[in-house]
Amino acid sequence: MIPTTIERRIRWAGLLVVVGLVLQMLTFLSIHPLAFMGFLLIGCPLVAAGMLLYLYSLVSHDVP
Amino acid sequence: MNHTALILILFIAIVAVLALLTAWRPELTRERGGKVLAFVALCILPVLAMWAGVTEHLQRSTSTQFCLSCHVMGDFGKSLLVDDRSYIPARHFQNNFVPRDHACFTCHTDYTMFGDYRAKWRGVHHVLVEYLGTIPKPEDIKLYTAYNNRECLHCHAGARAYLEASSHHKKPDMLALAASNQLSCMSSNCHDIVHDVATLKDATFWSPQADPK
Repeated sequence: MIPTTIERRIRWAGLLVVVGLVLQMLTFLSIHPLAFMGFLLIGCPLVAAGMLLYLYSLVSHDVP
Repeated sequence: MNHTALILILFIAIVAVLALLTAWRPELTRERGGKVLAFVALCILPVLAMWAGVTEHLQRSTSTQFCLSCHVMGDFGKSLLVDDRSYIPARHFQNNFVPRDHACFTCHTDYTMFGDYRAKWRGVHHVLVEYLGTIPKPEDIKLYTAYNNRECLHCHAGARAYLEASSHHKKPDMLALAASNQLSCMSSNCHDIVHDVATLKDATFWSPQADPK
């Protein structure tokens, strides 16, 4: 079955969220300022980007 | 690693698995159940994970281990173990007047991310200097603003030992001046030996023993 544009966006959104969450998990292995900054400046933006892409996929038109 | 962190890691792992499932099989969203799964896995749970993660990291950043993880803070950590009662931080740390695992934050409550926006920016700047800049000597590190008596009076205000100490009545208005921060507790000839990292090479150190309980 060929994925629609919306599904492709959801796939990318899911991957962004997964990568962000994995990075966030890794930051908990260390008690260090860099871990906190990595969480805030890399992990959170990736997750937020995935969420926004997912929300955008919900309101966007499907391109055949 | 504490239990909270383990639970949080487990929670984030579950969210990541759900998000991965959605990414792997996006066609699931053609059905009602898949739509709900995608919304929960890509919207609701990640927000909860970020909120819980920020809370945990903020909690961790109040720990002594966090503050001393930067190389330049090492001597300040050593100063907590000086075997000399006149060193105010050492006396507080060694006698559990402050919780040892949150010793720095107890007395520096408005530092870096816990202060205003300028303090937060300084915190980022400190990290940049630690890795990219020229690290100053520990003895050259000073507070940006004079130490506020408020930090001392969190605990000492109202305490009998504080109110009745003869040294606090050398002048009739000393306590009032200290309360209004017009007279620093660390004034010369008062409690003026603080971290004094420049003198550590001549100091002797206390080594904590394991609690037998």
